[in-house]
Amino acid sequence: MTLFRSRPLLKLVLQYQPAALLPAATKIHTSALLQAWKPEDHEPQKFLEYNKKIYPPQSPDEAPRPAFVCHQRSNIKYSPWKMWYIACLVRGMTVDEAIKQLKFVLMKGAKDVRETIEEARDLAVKEHNVEFASNLWVAESFVGKGHVVKGIRRHGRARFGRVEYFHCHYFVRLEEGKPPKHYYQHHPKEPHQQLEDWLQQMRKRKITNSI
Amino acid sequence: MALRIANLLGPRLLNEPLVALTVSRSHDQFVRHRHTKHWNPKWKTLRRQKVMRVKLPNFQEKPEDLSEEEIRSRLKEQGILPPRPWNEKPFFLSCTGGIFEAYVPPEGDGKISPIQVQGAKQKLQYLEKKSRTMMAIRKIKSFEEEFDTATFCKEAEDIYVKMHDLMAKRDLENMTDYVTERAYPEVIHNIENKTIHWKLIKNIELPRVVHARCTDVITKENIFGQTTVRFHTQQMLAVYDRFGRLMHGSEIIAKDVLEYVVFERHLANLYGKWRVHGKIIPDWLPPKEPSLITYLKPAEETSTTETAVTKTSPDTEQEIPKESNT
Repeated sequence: MTLFRSRPLLKLVLQYQPAALLPAATKIHTSALLQAWKPEDHEPQKFLEYNKKIYPPQSPDEAPRPAFVCHQRSNIKYSPWKMWYIACLVRGMTVDEAIKQLKFVLMKGAKDVRETIEEARDLAVKEHNVEFASNLWVAESFVGKGHVVKGIRRHGRARFGRVEYFHCHYFVRLEEGKPPKHYYQHHPKEPHQQLEDWLQQMRKRKITNSI
Repeated sequence: MALRIANLLGPRLLNEPLVALTVSRSHDQFVRHRHTKHWNPKWKTLRRQKVMRVKLPNFQEKPEDLSEEEIRSRLKEQGILPPRPWNEKPFFLSCTGGIFEAYVPPEGDGKISPIQVQGAKQKLQYLEKKSRTMMAIRKIKSFEEEFDTATFCKEAEDIYVKMHDLMAKRDLENMTDYVTERAYPEVIHNIENKTIHWKLIKNIELPRVVHARCTDVITKENIFGQTTVRFHTQQMLAVYDRFGRLMHGSEIIAKDVLEYVVFERHLANLYGKWRVHGKIIPDWLPPKEPSLITYLKPAEETSTTETAVTKTSPDTEQEIPKESNT
C-alpha cells in the first residue's frame, strides 16, 4: 500500500533535487491530490522531454545542427495496430508530401495523424527557430497503445466474449532539412556498390593452408 | 484450358489491343464493398442487444474549452457537487503592476556628445530642476536614511549586471531577488529555450538616476518607490537557439546600449529590496538588429477592417443624392 502511494511522491521529489530545502518541496504533502486532479498524468510525458533539451552553442566552423520538434497526440480512438500502417507510410517523407498523402488515405486514423503533423510544423516555426515550414521531414513516426475500455458481448449458447475499445498515442518527430534518400538501413544497394561488395567477397577468399 | 480460352478470345485478340487483358485494379477504391452489414436484416435488433453499449470518454476535449454550463450539466448527470476549494491562501503584494508616471526620455539623448553646447546643457540639467523627483527621493530617504543617488547608481548597476548573469545561467530560483514579479514573466519568456552569452564591457557614461516616484497601494502607508536609472554602456550579447545556432547578436562585436531601467522597492517593508521592475523603451531609439532568419509577417487584421469601413461610407453618400435626384 505504501509502495503504491509513494510513487507519485517519489516522482515529485526526484524531479527537484536537492529535495528538502527548496520551496518546491513544500508541495510534498499535496502531491498525491495534485496528481489525481491533473489530466496530464494519463498522457505519455517522456517523448516531449526531448523538446526541452538545450544543446550547447556551436562554433561558427561547425555544420549547423538541424532543428527538430517532437509532438504527440494521446488517446486517439483508433486501434494501434491499424494506426501503425499509417505511421509507417509517413516515415521519411517531407511534411508537405506527408500531409498530401494522408489526405487521400482512407483510414480513420489518417485524420489525426495529419492534424498532429500540421500542429508539429506550426510549433517548429513558432517555438524552435525553424525558418521554413516546408524544410521539415518526418524523422520518427510511431504509435503506442493508449487507454483500453473493456466491454462484454454475448455469443451463441450463452457464451460471453470481451470487447476491447482501443485508443492509441501517435508520436512524430520532425527534423529540419532534406529527407535522406533511404530511410531504412536495409535498402537495396546501388549497382556499383553491389559490384564492389561482390569483388570484396571474391578477394577475401583464401585457400586454407596455402601461402 | 488455355487453348480453349485463346480459341474463344482469338478473333477479339486480333482486333482489340492487348492492354485490357490484365485486370487493372486502379479503380478498386472507387467501388467499395462494406463488410460490416449482415446479409439478413431480420435479426438486427437481437444482434444489437448482444453487445453491451459502453460510453467512451472523449480524450480530445480539454476542460478549458468547455463552458460553465456544459461543466454544470455534466456534474449534474454524474450526481456530483461542484468541487469547492476550501483552501484560502493569503497573497502578498510585493510589487506594483506597472511603471507609475513613466519617465519620458528627451529625444536625441545619448547621441549628442557632452562636449557640444546642447550636451553640456543636458548634463547640467541635474535632478535639482525636477521637483517631483526630488520630493520622491526625499520620501525614499524617510524610509531609507542612507539613500544617496550616487551610491544607489552603483547598487543599481550591480543589480542590473547580476540580473543579466542570472538570465545567462538560467537561474530561476534567485531571479526574484533581482527582478520583481511584474518583470519576471517577461524575463523568463526571453530566456526560454535559448542560451545567452552576455557581458557588460564598460560604462560609456556613468549610470544616472533620472526619475523617481513614490506610490501607495491600497493603504496610504503601503508605499512603493520607483526610480529610473539611465545606463549608457557597451555590451556583448550573443543569443543561441535551442540547437546552438546563433540567433541574434555576436560574440565579438560590442554594441553601445542606451537604456532606461526602472527599479522598484517596497519601502514600507523593512526587508524590501531594490529590484528591476521594467524598462522604458522610447520610440526614437534606433531599431533593433533584424533577425538572422526570415519569418512570415503576421497578417494585420485591424488595418483591413478600417479600410473596408472607409470605403463603404463615401459610396453610400454618393448613392443617396443620386436616388433623390431620380
